[in-house]
Amino acid sequence: MWWKITSVVLLVYTIIAGFLVPLKSGIERVEPQAAQTGEQTTIRFFGYNTFFARPSDEPLRVWLYYNDQYALYAKTVRPLNDTILEATFSLPVNLPDGKPFVLLNALVDHPTAGASLLPAALTLRQADTLSAPLDPAWTQTPVEQLHVQKGFSFPYQNILYETIRNTYFHVPMWFVLLFLFAASVWYSVKYLRRPEPDLDRYAAAYAEVGILFGLLGLVSGMVWANYTWGRPWSNDIKQLMTAVALLVYMAYFILRGSFSDPEKSARLAAVYNIFAFASLIPLLYILPRMFDSLHPGATGNPAFGTQDLDNTMRAVFYPAIIGWTLLGFWIADLRTRYQRLHDRAMGVD
Amino acid sequence: MNWRSLLPLLHKEMVLEWRQRYALSGIVLYVVSMVFVVYVASVKPTPPMWNTLFWLIVLFASINAVVKSFVRESGARQLYYYQLADPAALVLAKVLYNALLLLVLSGLASVAFALVADSPVQRWPLFLGTLALGSASFSIAFTFISAIAAKADHGATLVAILSFPVVLPMLLTLLRLSAASFAPEGMPLDTWADVRNLLAVDAILIALVFVLFPYIWRD
Amino acid sequence: MGRTILTFVLLMGISLPAALAEGNRDFMRETGKIYVVVATLLVIFLGIVGYLVRLERKLTRLEHQTKDDA
Repeated sequence: MWWKITSVVLLVYTIIAGFLVPLKSGIERVEPQAAQTGEQTTIRFFGYNTFFARPSDEPLRVWLYYNDQYALYAKTVRPLNDTILEATFSLPVNLPDGKPFVLLNALVDHPTAGASLLPAALTLRQADTLSAPLDPAWTQTPVEQLHVQKGFSFPYQNILYETIRNTYFHVPMWFVLLFLFAASVWYSVKYLRRPEPDLDRYAAAYAEVGILFGLLGLVSGMVWANYTWGRPWSNDIKQLMTAVALLVYMAYFILRGSFSDPEKSARLAAVYNIFAFASLIPLLYILPRMFDSLHPGATGNPAFGTQDLDNTMRAVFYPAIIGWTLLGFWIADLRTRYQRLHDRAMGVD
Repeated sequence: MNWRSLLPLLHKEMVLEWRQRYALSGIVLYVVSMVFVVYVASVKPTPPMWNTLFWLIVLFASINAVVKSFVRESGARQLYYYQLADPAALVLAKVLYNALLLLVLSGLASVAFALVADSPVQRWPLFLGTLALGSASFSIAFTFISAIAAKADHGATLVAILSFPVVLPMLLTLLRLSAASFAPEGMPLDTWADVRNLLAVDAILIALVFVLFPYIWRD
Repeated sequence: MGRTILTFVLLMGISLPAALAEGNRDFMRETGKIYVVVATLLVIFLGIVGYLVRLERKLTRLEHQTKDDA
């Protein structure tokens, strides 16, 4: 009983925290996105959840940041409103390392909101080759003493924006699926050692609810993907893997239905459950390393790594997983109880 | 496990097959006709396509071959065998036999396929090794799942449905390995990770087969 | 009624961008795509509720059956 209450408490916390915690300030884009050396340009910075216009004791500082050695500091900074900032730069006459062009990151430092970075915001081209020593503007005002935001907020990611909150709703579905299928296999093993019909009921119920959460994970992922990856289905390896895992368990139910003798069907289904689950494990670990994926944490995805699953998100993510998993177990428990009553009523027990 | 009964059991499988050649010839016919279809379609496959088509042919022929080998024996004789023989030896014999069968099958398929569509294979040892690994992997999966499901209604279809998810990671790895065999000699390859993964999967599954098979043949 | 809402939400979640490509992108960007989060959560919630409703119906049917037998 206590674990059902825990699940509800954790999920309520997840939903509230997941929706109400604000995002960190971020830079969405800059205009113009290209410039040439030697120019004086005014660049507009478009912020998300920013507070450029609010009065503060220290001034806003803006850089076009190349790396820790070289950064260009803005001459003047003028906020137009809370989310648009204009900064003028005296662009230097040459580029570091003699490159023909460099990608500069936009960096805005706000005394209370902290520092925000937009990678590869501006392309700076060399106007004509100048083999003079490097313009001192690059090293004059290095980036240092950046402020850190006080307060609890979620990371800002371009393209994702607020949908980063989906981490608490879509991602746990996968964990629940794994836990439920693992429980199903566990009961299958127990059933083989001691053929009690009740153990088989548990195995089947966990498999069924596992399929439910797998489908929920897929569909919720498709909704999310539609607005961030551009299409609901992109043959991403994790999408395919989930589909295959679902196929295994649907085949499990087809197998159960193919035998009229319930004891035989339960036994053979248990054997298949164990075998198929064991073959899924390599699927889960080997395949994602073989293919590039749009999902975060895989190759070819620079922006969303362990850095974003740091303390702010973890504080909601871990309780979310536990909450959703307990909910899954609760539903499976109900399903088993139904099956028990059904079997007793039909005189099958 | 009773090792001494292994060879006689293997021998028995082969003899049975040879006596009732219709199953083997059925499979051979299957392979040849699929290859012929590709030929008649007059599509000159690019190496990736060749790869895919080849493994599809091998996959379907393999499922058929293995399922047929379970349907072959009559119930009474099966009971006789199962009373006499050690289940571990029995299932291992079946797996080994099927592995050999599939190896011959895939070899035949690769020859036939190479005749109608230019074979892009450059490194034959690697390709043949992949065939061997594939035959072993498919044999383990299909033999075991046939043991589970072949007796049910629509057993053959059921075996295909049940096997597909199990076989998918193997298939993808095999595709990569045989694609690697198309690369010309001298290029460095990092195929060992794939080979190692497949061997690991096979090891896990064959161990499971040993543990689980007694639960299947109880009737 | 519930089915209509469900269909509407699903349609909104998936087909709306196809119909209103550019306009929709601005709307979503304005609101920071918070509604995508709402849609995701709604999908999950409705899916679970749907399953529970199915279970509920099966239970009711079973209860009626045993009541008739008794």
